[in-house]
Amino acid sequence: MFTKDIDAKIKRSIGLTLFVLVASAVSAYFGLHPRVTDVGYRPTQPIPFSHKLHADTLGIKCMYCHTGVEVSKHSPVPETQTCMNCHIAVGIDNPKLAGVRESWEQNKPIAWRQVHKLPEYVHFNHSVHILAQIDCASCHGEVEKMGVVTQMQPLTMGWCLNCHRNPEKYVVPARPISGIFTGTEMAAWGQSKPTWGSGRWLKVKDGKIEAIGKQEYQFVAADVAGIVIPKKPSKGPETCSACHY
Amino acid sequence: MGSMKKTVRFRTIFWSLVGIAFAIFWVLLLSGNILWTSDTPPLQVIRDMDNQMRIAPQEEYPFFPDRSSDRPPLPYTVPRYAQVYTPETVDEALEKYPENPLPVTEFVLARGKNRFETFCTPCHGVEGKGDGPVVKRGFPAPPDLNRDITRGYPDAQIFHIISRGQNVMPGYANKLSEADRWAVVHYVRWLQQRAAQTTESSSMEAGE
Repeated sequence: MFTKDIDAKIKRSIGLTLFVLVASAVSAYFGLHPRVTDVGYRPTQPIPFSHKLHADTLGIKCMYCHTGVEVSKHSPVPETQTCMNCHIAVGIDNPKLAGVRESWEQNKPIAWRQVHKLPEYVHFNHSVHILAQIDCASCHGEVEKMGVVTQMQPLTMGWCLNCHRNPEKYVVPARPISGIFTGTEMAAWGQSKPTWGSGRWLKVKDGKIEAIGKQEYQFVAADVAGIVIPKKPSKGPETCSACHY
Repeated sequence: MGSMKKTVRFRTIFWSLVGIAFAIFWVLLLSGNILWTSDTPPLQVIRDMDNQMRIAPQEEYPFFPDRSSDRPPLPYTVPRYAQVYTPETVDEALEKYPENPLPVTEFVLARGKNRFETFCTPCHGVEGKGDGPVVKRGFPAPPDLNRDITRGYPDAQIFHIISRGQNVMPGYANKLSEADRWAVVHYVRWLQQRAAQTTESSSMEAGE
């Protein structure tokens, strides 16, 4: 019907069209995955705050500013008061801190930009993960090495479930920089492994602490309201209602 | 003949370049490269119900004049479960807390150490000597916690200073729960005791 030449051209163009369609479909499928679209999100913050300086160089723990992450679902972004705990005396002429001083004087919150955002039908509870002694870096990356906070993980459901199923493979255990209470401090009192049900009673006498022997004790919640008892990390729940409620 | 050969070679080179570019594109795409940082919020192709009407903590919320979802407590109200620290002076604190209500256990000391090293170490240093990293950056150095005057303070006075602050030190009642503050008091006592032991042993060594 056609000459050989045109026939070949038609065949070639059909092949090319198919290839382009398939390639663009596959590219869209993988290219629009959150690991491409969300990872690497690095918003410019209203104040050039450096986690590298504060956490890595100065060694201030995550929980100094993000206080409350241990007891609440939401990990709080620090209020201006926390900045001013130190910056009332440090860097009082630093132009980079003008925004902090303005916020302090006008009693107006600093408009930090949110980096990690989950869909709002997912309920992530920070305190549960902190109690399981999962380090911040498991989800946020090594923030103390970042000048500007960047999203490091896709935060998709598949990514969550990977970790819930194989925590030993993905969880970064609590590091000292985070300030998470692990109980390893108890080694200082002669215990290699923390045991939460029993321990040594100590007694204060004339301002001196003396041990009065090993004794079983029950930790009474009312005595230490607010002190959290860490649990051992284990597999996370996989039921839908654990996160979607 | 020579010109035709040239064309063939040009084509080969062109298509292999295209192929290489395509391969690089795919490798970058599939690796989800962290090198690609962006200031613009992530692209949401399928929006589902990612953003809902509910109010999240610390969110921008235009309904209120200050555009914040966080609301200050109403005047003359106290939030439920709130730990309100009432003593205004050391004397009031001494009257209210005759002694540290927490038992001294390993758990409490461990907790105290953890809280001390999170909230106090930036200025007071690991040992409480007042040589923390923030002091090295120009913050007025706090006095040594192991000196005799501080050692003589009653527990309630240390508790009061942690809660309300002193001089340039802010109060930490909003960051540390009541029990945590008492645990820190125990840990400070432990530090003082250890420092005293070290001084004693070193002076004994010097005496010998």
